[in-house]
Amino acid sequence: MKLRYYETMFLLDPDLNEEDREDAIQKFSNIITEDKGQIVNIDKWPLRKLAYKVQKKTQGYYVVMNYGAPGQTIQELTRNFRLDERVMKFITTKLDDEFDFESASKDFDKKESGASKEALQTTEEEQEGQEA
Amino acid sequence: MQQQQGQQQTQPQRPNPQQQQRYKRRRIYVRRKVCRFCADKSLVADYKNPELLKNFVTERGKILPRRVTGTCAKHQRRLTNAIKKARIMALMPFTSGHALE
Repeated sequence: MKLRYYETMFLLDPDLNEEDREDAIQKFSNIITEDKGQIVNIDKWPLRKLAYKVQKKTQGYYVVMNYGAPGQTIQELTRNFRLDERVMKFITTKLDDEFDFESASKDFDKKESGASKEALQTTEEEQEGQEA
Repeated sequence: MQQQQGQQQTQPQRPNPQQQQRYKRRRIYVRRKVCRFCADKSLVADYKNPELLKNFVTERGKILPRRVTGTCAKHQRRLTNAIKKARIMALMPFTSGHALE
């Protein structure tokens, strides 16, 4: 089966404890690997303030998954996102029609150093602001 | 009504020569804006980076036109898509009316 390169971001309920969050992430990554998909990276963002209220919540945990998977997996994944009440929002984008694990993960090592650090910093600043 | 409108269109107000000259002179001092994404190749309009995208929307959260920001057509298309994705994921507000803070 041909794999394509996808990125999925989803927003988890802020009231979940760490165990529940890990469980949810595990569940979705299992759906990918069961269909012989390959997960390149899972980026768990720290608790973050939302731009507007979602399901009456003002905060949430973002998770970004980069993976290669066959097309039908996306449908299955989407169905599960809709059913799962822990997920408040989700978005899947196709990054490339071709998927190569090696080059995808290499690309990620580079990105890791810049983007996620920046994200961390901003959320830290926001949290400091809240305390003050 | 229609006739009136037609007449208005066929007779556009021409600025007198003096005014035109003033326009021209002022034009010279307008600095040509350069697309930020072309200037910095490593910069990507990514929906996961709302801090960057914030520079390209108004205070109300509306997407700024190209003529204001100087972004090139190619990058403006990517920028709009990124902003819209960021809005969907609650990383950016649709309007300031619903925004928190």
